[in-house]
Amino acid sequence: MIEKTAAPATKVAEGRSLFLKGDSVPIALLPFFAFVTFFLLWPISDVLIKSLKGNSGEWTLSNFEPMTHGIYLTAFQTSIELGLITAFIGAVVGAFFAFVIENYAGRKLTAVLDSISAVFANSGGVPLAFMFIASFGANSAVIRILRGMGLDLYANGFSLFSLTGVAFVYSFFQIPLMVLVFKPALKGLRKEWREASMSLGGSNWDFIRRIAVPVLFPSFFGSMLLLFAGGFSAYATARAMTVGNVPLVPLIIGTLVDGNVIANKANQGAALAVGMILVAVIAMTGYVWAQRTTSKWQAR
Amino acid sequence: MKGKLGKYSAISVTIFISLMLFVVPLFSAAEYSFRGSYGQGHDFTNYLWIIQQDGFLAHLLLSVELGALAGALNLILMVPTITMLHLTHQRFRPIVDLICILPLMIPVVSLAIGAEVSMPSFLQNSQYELVFFFVILALPFTYRVLDTSFGSIPLKTLVEASRSLGASWLSTILRIILPGAKGGITAALFLSFALAIGEFTITQLLHWDTFPVWTVNASQQNILGAIALSVFSFIFAVVLLGVIAFTSSSRSKKEIVVEEGA
Amino acid sequence: MKIEKTVGSALEISGLSRSFGAVIALDQFTISIQPGELIALLGPSGCGKTTALRIVAGLEKADRGSVHINGEDLLSKPANNRDIGMVFQSYSLFPNMTVAENISYGLRVRRMKSDLIKKRVIDMLDLVELPHKINSYPHQLSGGQQQRVALARALAIEPRVLLLDEPLSALDAQVRSQIRDEIRRIQIESGTTTLFVTHDQEEAMAIADRVGVMQHGRLEQLDTPNNLYNKPATPFVASFVGITNSIPAVAESSTQVVILNQSIDIAEHSVAINAGDHVSALVRPEWVSLEKSAGVSLEKSAGESRVITKSFLGPMTRIGVDVGLKELVYAELSSKEARNYDTGDLVKVSIATDSVMVENV
Repeated sequence: MIEKTAAPATKVAEGRSLFLKGDSVPIALLPFFAFVTFFLLWPISDVLIKSLKGNSGEWTLSNFEPMTHGIYLTAFQTSIELGLITAFIGAVVGAFFAFVIENYAGRKLTAVLDSISAVFANSGGVPLAFMFIASFGANSAVIRILRGMGLDLYANGFSLFSLTGVAFVYSFFQIPLMVLVFKPALKGLRKEWREASMSLGGSNWDFIRRIAVPVLFPSFFGSMLLLFAGGFSAYATARAMTVGNVPLVPLIIGTLVDGNVIANKANQGAALAVGMILVAVIAMTGYVWAQRTTSKWQAR
Repeated sequence: MKGKLGKYSAISVTIFISLMLFVVPLFSAAEYSFRGSYGQGHDFTNYLWIIQQDGFLAHLLLSVELGALAGALNLILMVPTITMLHLTHQRFRPIVDLICILPLMIPVVSLAIGAEVSMPSFLQNSQYELVFFFVILALPFTYRVLDTSFGSIPLKTLVEASRSLGASWLSTILRIILPGAKGGITAALFLSFALAIGEFTITQLLHWDTFPVWTVNASQQNILGAIALSVFSFIFAVVLLGVIAFTSSSRSKKEIVVEEGA
Repeated sequence: MKIEKTVGSALEISGLSRSFGAVIALDQFTISIQPGELIALLGPSGCGKTTALRIVAGLEKADRGSVHINGEDLLSKPANNRDIGMVFQSYSLFPNMTVAENISYGLRVRRMKSDLIKKRVIDMLDLVELPHKINSYPHQLSGGQQQRVALARALAIEPRVLLLDEPLSALDAQVRSQIRDEIRRIQIESGTTTLFVTHDQEEAMAIADRVGVMQHGRLEQLDTPNNLYNKPATPFVASFVGITNSIPAVAESSTQVVILNQSIDIAEHSVAINAGDHVSALVRPEWVSLEKSAGVSLEKSAGESRVITKSFLGPMTRIGVDVGLKELVYAELSSKEARNYDTGDLVKVSIATDSVMVENV
């Protein structure tokens, strides 16, 4: 006869719950929320408030006025342009790279490339600027070799310190960032879809046109938005490379914050900052939306 | 998908572009950095220069210190938070998710403008205020990495099992949770450290003098030295992480095989 | 039912072989499928059933062998030109398309006229009984619904052969048997020759005309479910299909074996053995008969065994008896009969069958 064994004794200290119930007041999460409120949300709201305050502390929209014309408007246009160009180049080349790596690279190579991409994608700022100044400066090996081959870039008006130059340098991190962000989407393209398409009589082109592109588009577009936000907002690299000759919003904000500023100039900086936030938030919202759509499709 | 021809041409194009855009600049910059005084020959002059500058060590150590603090603070803040999010407070995940995207959305420049407002005055005059912002800046990456890592282990089940066997909370955290999420924790630590060490924007706008900022200023005297340093740090990071990835990927392959066989 | 019964196609697979490096996935796989038949390929993971299916579909290449549909060579054709319908285990619906667009995919790439396409889609949805889901997206459907749509999609092109690669494995148990019967119903109505791959023997036995049991890349037996169950050709088939006891026995001669002090004929197709050999006899639970010992006693006498377990399975009950061997011997009785037995009872065990299959220990 099978004996029913007694249920194992649960050795839990008396009085203490086996498992914390979810509180309605998330005490355990308080440190996080406090930290974020203090160092993220409060500063953001401060920027917002400063942008709406005039010289004598009154509420006003006058700080936003300079953005509608002149140098500030140009700066916004240039910044957006920079963001768009680098986003486009980064997205197209990066998607291509991601495709090649995903389909043709072995496991180890992929792991190495992933980590290298991570380093490159987070590069930027000062070291990157200096590196490109070194490698494409007037006296560098590359320029000399090209000159020897008959291609004198500098004679043709190339300059690292122009918008083109900055865009060129930005590609160095935009492309790897695209690879990083887009490759998982490629992975989500299930092989069953291609096989099903084939079994139903579809050609490779049918598959690409009707399934691969539509499924990948949200992710591609979203990633491009992410790249845009980054290209638009980048500060360090641009600062290290340009000497005020390229009008970019981050740099203007920098100069306004830098020296000893009069109150209203600082508030104008805040207004510019708010403008930047707006542009970036719009782009990033698009990015988040794209991610949600993709995961919805790929969940099942 | 494409025929063999398509495959090889795609790979060749990739390698070509990579060479042009990534490898060549690195090499060219490296070559430049090894140039000797007055452009004669090649030597380590530039690498030595930066080391010999006043304040090199001090600023480097400062950045390392800030980086370590930022990494530690990040973990102290996020590991318990994410543990709670996965265990008992799942309903708060969407909010936290959204909050952690914010530092990516808000241009750092903009953040810098409002940064000082929330600082208690005793911190405002100390460079340690930067540590808090470094943590915020790293938040999107560390949150994502830790979230994924915690999501890949059956956290709830493990904790319940551990507790039902009589382990205390502390024991559970130390023996089960931390080892389980080891990958994510290490990655988060490295990420925040790396970000903190290289951060320029907020540092400069708040008028602090960390290693990156100091490098830029020093470079105004000798661009070659600054270049040497940049090249060095870059290549160092790439090689280090590449090696780590190479060695750890083979390990994870074994782990996967063991799991499948079980 | 609006679907027209098409004349099914005959599928001839001959000598199909495939190796992956040192691993032999398929070894001279040969099978002849009659028009309109549903053949199930059954076996454990790695037995080659999926490889065979994918070669027919064109998703894998064969090292050797041939496949013909109605006499026409198939392997020389590319995968997208074989007029074959395929249903995958999961995740095969195109996520960016509605149900209607999924089903019409094969028709659209064939450039069929849109009014004809529309009609066909509606017919297919009626066939799988999902007309109200016509504009839904795959992520809005349950697993069972998705597989029904996948089936509709595959049948929409009126394929000559339908291939199903473990279509039920990813579904919940309850849904599984429903969809299983659906598939069979639809297959019969449409008359499509079908090859169905599964590792679940209950599934295979329930719906197939004939079942091919495979192991290590080889076809061990191709027969009706009935024959597979009652006349297994090899010990592997005997133990894989249905439940069986493996009881230590001694060969009395080359044709008879002694199990539990009973002399029983050895079935054909068993391994060749000699008198005195120790073997394992494969005895189905329904062949084990129990007789309650008269009287109640706590002491077991010779020839008596004690009932140890009793498992209620619905119409049948499985009773485990300790006959003095390492493992219990299981008998299966109708639950009505089983009411007479309780755990702890003493019983006499005998084997009621003409012949048993044996294998070497």
